[in-house]
Amino acid sequence: MCGIIGIVSSKERSASLIASCMKILEYRGYDSVGIAALKPNGIEIMKTVGGVDELTKQYDLTTVSSNTLLGHTRWATHGQPSYTNAHPHTDCQSKIAVIHNGTITNFDILREELISLGHRFKSETDTEVIPHMMEEWMKKGLGSWEAFRRSIKVLEGSYAVLVVVSGERRIYFARRDNPLIIGLGKDSSYVASDAEAFLRFTRRALRIMDGELGYVEVGEAHVYNLEGEEINVNDRILEIPWRPEASGTEGYEHYMLKEIQESPRAVRDTLLAMKHDPVDDAVSTILNSKRLLIMGSGTSYHAGLLFALMLEREGFDVKTLIASEATWIKPMDGDVLLSISQSGETLDVLNAVKNHFKKYGVKTISLTNRIESALNFVSDIRLHTRAGPEVGVAATKTFTSQVAALIYLKQRIRGESIDLLHKAPTAISSAISQQGYAKAIGEELCRKGSMYYLGRGLGVPLAMEGALKIKEVAYIHAEAYPAGESKHGPIALVNDGFPVFFVNDGEKTSLLINNLKEMSARRAKTYAVSVGSKIGAQIEVSFDGDLQLSPFYIAPFLQMVAYFAAVCRGNNPDRPRNLAKTVTVE
Amino acid sequence: MIALVLAAGEGKGLYPYTSYEQKETISLVGRPIVRYVMDGLVSAGVERFVVVIGKRGDQVREALSTFQAPVTFVEQQRPGIDGAVIDGMEAVDDERIILAFGDIVTHSKFYNSLITAYLESGTNAVFSLVPVSEGLSTYGLAIIEDDKLKAISDSGSTLALAGAYIIPKGRFDNLLSYFNSLIEKGSSYFIWSGNWVDIGYPEDLIRAVESILSNRSTEISEKAYVARTAVIGKGVIVEDDAYIDEYAVIKGPAYIGKGAYVGNFALVRDYTSIEERARVGAFCELAHTLVEPEAEVGSKAYLSYSVVGRRARIGAGVIAASYPAEVVRSSVEKLGCLISPSKYVHHGSVLQPGHRE
Repeated sequence: MCGIIGIVSSKERSASLIASCMKILEYRGYDSVGIAALKPNGIEIMKTVGGVDELTKQYDLTTVSSNTLLGHTRWATHGQPSYTNAHPHTDCQSKIAVIHNGTITNFDILREELISLGHRFKSETDTEVIPHMMEEWMKKGLGSWEAFRRSIKVLEGSYAVLVVVSGERRIYFARRDNPLIIGLGKDSSYVASDAEAFLRFTRRALRIMDGELGYVEVGEAHVYNLEGEEINVNDRILEIPWRPEASGTEGYEHYMLKEIQESPRAVRDTLLAMKHDPVDDAVSTILNSKRLLIMGSGTSYHAGLLFALMLEREGFDVKTLIASEATWIKPMDGDVLLSISQSGETLDVLNAVKNHFKKYGVKTISLTNRIESALNFVSDIRLHTRAGPEVGVAATKTFTSQVAALIYLKQRIRGESIDLLHKAPTAISSAISQQGYAKAIGEELCRKGSMYYLGRGLGVPLAMEGALKIKEVAYIHAEAYPAGESKHGPIALVNDGFPVFFVNDGEKTSLLINNLKEMSARRAKTYAVSVGSKIGAQIEVSFDGDLQLSPFYIAPFLQMVAYFAAVCRGNNPDRPRNLAKTVTVE
Repeated sequence: MIALVLAAGEGKGLYPYTSYEQKETISLVGRPIVRYVMDGLVSAGVERFVVVIGKRGDQVREALSTFQAPVTFVEQQRPGIDGAVIDGMEAVDDERIILAFGDIVTHSKFYNSLITAYLESGTNAVFSLVPVSEGLSTYGLAIIEDDKLKAISDSGSTLALAGAYIIPKGRFDNLLSYFNSLIEKGSSYFIWSGNWVDIGYPEDLIRAVESILSNRSTEISEKAYVARTAVIGKGVIVEDDAYIDEYAVIKGPAYIGKGAYVGNFALVRDYTSIEERARVGAFCELAHTLVEPEAEVGSKAYLSYSVVGRRARIGAGVIAASYPAEVVRSSVEKLGCLISPSKYVHHGSVLQPGHRE
């Protein structure tokens, strides 16, 4: 995910103005930012690693102005967030500047072809193929519009693209599966990922459909299909009457639910992009290790536990560590450390890697959702999830993506096919479709003060994650135990109506049924999420599916239960009290 | 944008009540149901309305007589919901339509969400969905694969069509097939997680009052009369010219409409709504009950989970039992009586759970 905006105006507008629009789009990414300003003799590009504030520190944007401006905030998916990888990207002559939100899946083929034609690429991004392709067409004598159209036509994947060409006063745009909307002002036109970015200037908006492209000029827009036939869009113009309450929620009341909803895509993007990561190195490093240490905090720790259980079943020696406690361990020769952190900035994880394990010479692998993060810098092998930015404080789609990446890694370690993972997005969709029951359960639980989550095997870390989620957003005291362990103490608390939520991953069903009976005998109110066979809880939601994919059914379902419990309590699940998205204190 | 609002349905789930009154005009916490839809659409920026009306269209016109935006009324000619939409569409001079069912009670933000989803989507059709767990067979259910909407079906999901959509104008015989053809061409959706009630059955009216009154704070009009010895609890709304007599207890959340009367020692509690100029006699107890405008509840009556129609009269000492009852769309197995407009229930009657007349 990235944020893009373009402004074309009859009078010169300051670059600081577009920076203020980019600030609104920062929720879409903040790894690196960049601005292109069209000048009579070329294009001025200003870009940097970091957010908009970093850019305004480095450049005096008030001194730069132009009739045509592009701005980009990036969430890196291909290539690290470096100066060279930051958008806008240009052609060899620096006459064409491009910003892009999305993923071009056939960029490697296009890139090779363009290199063979003599084009020089500066970045590792998928985006850079666009300006070079346009340049190539223009060299062959085509006008810029036709060059743009032909370039877009060969792209595969998803995109919202804006392009400017030196000497013109227009912005070319194209959209497929990523948001883009035009704003038509009196003396300026805008085109952006989110209408919020230009609502201060105009409320007249023009929607662009997937598969359309065209260009905006001052006060007007021309929209075409990929074949170049112009589309009449007069009836599409509408006035936006109100101010959206939150950017980018796309109609959802909270980011948390929207982000759970995005999990199938997050998992698919994660799996598709694993091939760009050094998975082979990670696999051979783990196979050659004597012991694998897995470290994380909170949700990432639970993803680590799940991975550890899977490897332990294969006879691997694995130890899972909570980051803040990890420095008590004295590493042994042959240890390899896998540290998991969504942000890659969690101080506990970072400190343990940098100040402890590195000192013992432990080889380190990281799994983060940000391509450039402090954890990446200190890790030998860097793996990534591609869940996109997550605004909700409680991890949802990033957890599911971590699980997907780790199962991928496990299959590779075992030398087995990763085909089973192709069905993971469908499994998540099945869970999302059962949202009505998640809501009903959440609304019952929201009246409770305390509860248990019980599971066996892989169900244990999933139960722990379920308990963490409901604590985080609904403030319900929840504890997770291996179900067999519940009778060694925890069951003492169970009385009439005490909620016990069983996480049944389908492996040890008969034993779970026994545990369920123990709880029912104490008049507990029992709930279950089951994959495969049912266990007979009072309220049970079950999925028929591959047991190996059980986390993809269970995790989103438990996240939704927590979400609806929070909403029922009147909490804002996106901003739970006392919590921060990235914990940067010890 | 133009909204096409449907307010011509037969309201079968509320028979016989709806043979006297159009469902969309039933008053809930001081507003006819259809106004919740249309006020929400106005706040989302809709400026013009086409409202499809049926046999009791005059009641809808009356309910919208004070509505602030221009409304074109279309009398339904073709049968069924498909016919209502086709008739209404002919009166809309725009290529896209906000199609809104007139019997949805939800927060006005729901309609904002619909427009937001439409703006940000790159598709011609946008559907609102809502999670449901009771009465699934009464809804159109959305099949989601990966993160895309695949079809509307009658099973296989708990995400129901939520009653407001943005769709292109088109020709069709069957609305559901039209929806599915739009979905095939590419559509977007959002899932609404806030309060939402589709009014189809008596329990929906009771749930809707609950959802409107939840999280409301106490507001007592300066023009209302509240006796010195009356007790007003939390979350109670008392409108202009309401009269609350000595020793009455209004234990919120509850609503006492304009010019309504609550007699001595009456107990009005737990999501009860006494609409405009309705009268509740002395020593009554009302819980989870909706008393429509100008209705009268005689003294010493006990009503819970009940609906008393416009200008209906409940005799003294009537008791409406509410448990156990069969309900379609509620997790609470409680339902009292549904008394149609202008009906009279004799003094001292004991009504069985789910009684309708």
